[in-house]
Amino acid sequence: MQNIIRNTLLSHLRLGNHTWQRKMCASSKSNDSSKMLLDRVVGLVKKFDRIDAKMVTETADFQKDLSLDSLDRVELVMAFEEEFAMEIPEEEADKLTCCADVAKYIASGDKGKITEDSL
Amino acid sequence: MSISYIARRASQKEKVRILYRRALKDTLNWAVHRHLFYQDASDLRERFEANKHVEDIDTIDRMIADAEAHYNKFRHPDPYIVPWAPGGSKFTRNPTPPSGIEIVYNYGREDND
Repeated sequence: MQNIIRNTLLSHLRLGNHTWQRKMCASSKSNDSSKMLLDRVVGLVKKFDRIDAKMVTETADFQKDLSLDSLDRVELVMAFEEEFAMEIPEEEADKLTCCADVAKYIASGDKGKITEDSL
Repeated sequence: MSISYIARRASQKEKVRILYRRALKDTLNWAVHRHLFYQDASDLRERFEANKHVEDIDTIDRMIADAEAHYNKFRHPDPYIVPWAPGGSKFTRNPTPPSGIEIVYNYGREDND
């Protein structure tokens, strides 16, 4: 009796484990992750207090459309650095003009980190 | 409006931006709590905003030099570094295995077991 319960329990656990793993793999490989990244970036920009949240879109220019000055952009870049636990060098920070740019940069940075680590 | 004037203004703008970025990061390094940082950061911003409309180019140069000297004087001895960045606590620790190397997860188990 005990064995039967144990086996059913184990098989359930294993099944659960497998599906969970498959989900993780799928999300990291498909386009889902870049979409999620972009959503996270847009959500962060919307929370920035000097920006009108209704104006924020994926391609809205920080300087022209969202009317940020250079110091505001510095603060925004620092917010990105904290959110994604990465360092954005100053010359790269200049080139980030919209949410899509930022998401692209973060995704490329992740890849760079992995290849760097694997060397 | 000569070209040299425009170039000098551009370099000043960049210097101020970089200075603000460093000073803001240093403010976070000195603040032990987040709520202390918010006040310090808005004070820092006000100090920058106060001189927003200064037009004289030599005055600006002098102010930037002063501010950089002030920043260097109060720089944090042990700044926060992102763990994965060079100098961080996780830098080159437990790196992912090189590509082409396969991890065998059922280690020690036979095929027909």
